[in-house]
Amino acid sequence: MRTPALLLLVACGGGDAPRTSVDAAVDAVLSPRAQLIRLSLDLRGVRPTEAELTAVDADPAAYDGYVDAWLRDPRFGDQVEDLYNPVLRTRTANTYEDPAEAGIDAPSWEVAASVGSEPLKLIRHVVEQDRPFTEILTADYTLADPIVAAYWGLPHSGASAWEVVRYTDGRPAAGVFATNTLWHRYPSAGLNANRHRANQLSRMFLCDDYLSRPVTFTREALDGLTPEEASDAIHTNATCLSCHASLDPIAANFYGFWWEKGEGLAVNRSYAADDEGRWSEYFPSPPAYYGAPVSGLGELAADLAADPRFHRCTVQTVLGGLTQRDVDGEKDWEQVQALTDVFTESGFDFRALVAAIVKGDAYKAASFEDRTGERIPVVKTISPRQFSSYLVDKTGYAYTVDGADLLREPELGLVVLANGIDGEFITEPGYEPTVSSAFVIERVAQAAGYRVATIDLNRAEGTPAILLGDVAISDTPDTNAAAFEAQIRNIHLALVGVPLAADAPEVAERLELWRQVFSITSSPTSSWAAVLSATLRDPAVLFY
Amino acid sequence: MPHPNLSRRQWIQRAAGCAALGTFGSLGAAERQARAAAPDKKFLFFFARGGWDATPLDPKFAADGFSAVGGTDMDAGTVLGQSGNLTWSSGADRLAMDTYFANWGSRTALVRGVNVHSVAHDTGEFWALTGGGEDSRPDWPTILAASGSTEYPMPHLVFSGPNYPGRLGAAVVRGGGGSLLDLIDGSLNGQLDENAPSFDPTVDLLIDAHVRSQGVRYGAGRTGLAKIRTDAFLSSLDRASELEGRQFEAGLQDGASGLLDQALMAAEVMRLGLTRCAMIQIPGGWDTHGGNGAVGGQLDDFFSALDQLMDQLARTPGANAEWLADEIVIVAGSELGRTPKFNGSMGRDHWTYTSMLIAGAGVQGDTVAGETDDSFLALPIDLGTGRASGAGVLIGTEHVGATVLTLGDVDPQPWIPGVPAIDALIQGA
Repeated sequence: MRTPALLLLVACGGGDAPRTSVDAAVDAVLSPRAQLIRLSLDLRGVRPTEAELTAVDADPAAYDGYVDAWLRDPRFGDQVEDLYNPVLRTRTANTYEDPAEAGIDAPSWEVAASVGSEPLKLIRHVVEQDRPFTEILTADYTLADPIVAAYWGLPHSGASAWEVVRYTDGRPAAGVFATNTLWHRYPSAGLNANRHRANQLSRMFLCDDYLSRPVTFTREALDGLTPEEASDAIHTNATCLSCHASLDPIAANFYGFWWEKGEGLAVNRSYAADDEGRWSEYFPSPPAYYGAPVSGLGELAADLAADPRFHRCTVQTVLGGLTQRDVDGEKDWEQVQALTDVFTESGFDFRALVAAIVKGDAYKAASFEDRTGERIPVVKTISPRQFSSYLVDKTGYAYTVDGADLLREPELGLVVLANGIDGEFITEPGYEPTVSSAFVIERVAQAAGYRVATIDLNRAEGTPAILLGDVAISDTPDTNAAAFEAQIRNIHLALVGVPLAADAPEVAERLELWRQVFSITSSPTSSWAAVLSATLRDPAVLFY
Repeated sequence: MPHPNLSRRQWIQRAAGCAALGTFGSLGAAERQARAAAPDKKFLFFFARGGWDATPLDPKFAADGFSAVGGTDMDAGTVLGQSGNLTWSSGADRLAMDTYFANWGSRTALVRGVNVHSVAHDTGEFWALTGGGEDSRPDWPTILAASGSTEYPMPHLVFSGPNYPGRLGAAVVRGGGGSLLDLIDGSLNGQLDENAPSFDPTVDLLIDAHVRSQGVRYGAGRTGLAKIRTDAFLSSLDRASELEGRQFEAGLQDGASGLLDQALMAAEVMRLGLTRCAMIQIPGGWDTHGGNGAVGGQLDDFFSALDQLMDQLARTPGANAEWLADEIVIVAGSELGRTPKFNGSMGRDHWTYTSMLIAGAGVQGDTVAGETDDSFLALPIDLGTGRASGAGVLIGTEHVGATVLTLGDVDPQPWIPGVPAIDALIQGA
């Protein structure tokens, strides 16, 4: 049974969002407040302020204004990176080469975080600068912070921020395809002949993974095949050719990045134009892009940027990321096509695409008749990175060891345990709570709760509280019942974003929790830490 | 306050005012209850990442037992090993295989000529463990774990190796050691930059109960995906809470690193009813393009561990059967086979046909199912006898999956429609 107070039935989609049969199948959308929470987490990684929530309560039409404003929020760039990391999978615990060779003296997690971010920062930059999204494949620059600059030997101002820089080794303009990080993440060895890289291009930007195609050899073909002939078969056997005819000419474009293991950083960070022609040692036919001859990597990237399949794939990626589901090019054809039209007609404006998605009813759905829930995100699950951002925003606390945020950096394994990805072994985020994610949230909430309670209850007079501004350390429910109730309500409002109803059972239950913990510990700090910890673990925090 | 006669999970559920257990994904309590009459078999999966050489478990020698045949090269120094109906390539570098089959051949079956439908590692691995190509498919251990007749705190414990949870992610616990253990006992919070004290266990329990109560309230009246997620939330709380209370009983705090250690720990958590399935990666460099020389030693290590594991299972009282060996199924395989002929580096490249080993509870021992010819091409087989038959079927990973699910009393049809089990591998089938 739905709660009518939480629902707002709407008759049509809003603003410039294309309306499809999927939107029409939504029988109820979220309340304006819940819509804004979903939107804020997706566009800024944090929950809205109470002022923002109150504003949209008063005027639900203000939602569209927030879309436009938050697409310009500096934190939107983080979300762009997070949308594309599961595609590029470059944020790993891997540093690839020895940082000491580049004179870098930083913890390995920090090096891995910087190096892994290079192509993601490029994508972010294209979006933030309102460049056509196709520029992610054609840019003649990359992005670097001081670590990336030192690692890859790039000129850099020395400022701590990421900035636009250019490789100086004559590599072609090819956006993310010209970044060292991408090809260290996806190396290739002799027998593989860059096919791994070619397939990654197809998987990432055409949403077509060659490896997902089942291989079925006919008995006749196998009977006539000897192992010595296997290398020829990929050029003659019809089954083999179905992939290799298009894959190999793409692979032939990557020989400028043909690094051999053990050659050292100086070699393995340089593009070797002299090696571009080495494709002929491996393939009988020259570089091409699906039948169209190309002069090299730059032209390959330009052809890909102009390919309508890339434009559709971008829509699939963004729609899938924002709705936490696998978008199927066939099953979701109508929705994907409508959004692709918006994307194309906008001149490949990434923000316009996101706006079209988040303004649609399908994105705002609270209820959908399809019981599988596959096509509509009636509930979404907070990611480890979002939980980290949320926690810092609401409490100022980050769950760190030696400076590494355990909810962000994959090196210590917590990201994976919390249903995130490590980019190498776990490449698909999880959305269903698991035992390990329950433990992560429990421990993080516990630590954050203690910290907030300790600081707030011991703060100097006049110092603003993080969350416990209504009570003093000497208060008890018996001496100051009104303050306790107000405090519990205000904690819930601050952390969940929804006011507790006058008769909400949470008030009495959390008060009882406080009393029980106090009876065991005699510590107001522990008791408030328990209440804060329990509230941070509320499913209304973890789902949105 | 917690009641002294109730388990953590029971107390939390009662405290939260809800006696119903949460469930994973689409599997309902009624379905579980229906299965509860038959105690679950447990499943221990071993996986050799890299694509193992299938010839040691499907040897090709001439009738004299050591001469070569035309289509397949065997490793230098190997000869035919045989125990009952089972054959393997025996050699000085893999003596543990002889020992294993001599000791446990009567409880072991070999599956040959299994098509993984790919010559690529990633795809082969996915097909090998799920029988299909769609991203959303869960693998066999996840399905089995999510289909148990009871709730397990760690339904599918992935010590190492691959995992494809599909839509049943709530059934999977990744990591048999390290951070997970530090999380379970709370010691991780003592390692933070800002040291956070642990709650008293009783306080922990009170908070857990409160959170569960919040979850029950949040899930009330929800349907579809929202209900699935909320049920998974409640289930994860219950199982985490039980695990918190039983971690020392299971000896989890000791960790496990090597193959045998991990296998013995998996068996122990299965005995304690904490886990139904476990996945362990078989160490070694199995992707032998550059030379096949190390394979014998790697097999020796694996079969030595397997022999010791089986010995332990046969001497340890089970939870639902007399001995653990009577309730645990061992499944060992890889994502690819390798070419029957050596390449120029005396290595082997990728091949779509592989061999597997299945042993233990419910398995028809001393059995070979599946055949390949001298060129290591699969032949169609009769699923009832496991032997080549012109009227039979070519088997793939999907048939092995159907067999494993059937062994676990899970109907394979919803997962791999139309694919029959290999009856020859199942006792009494």
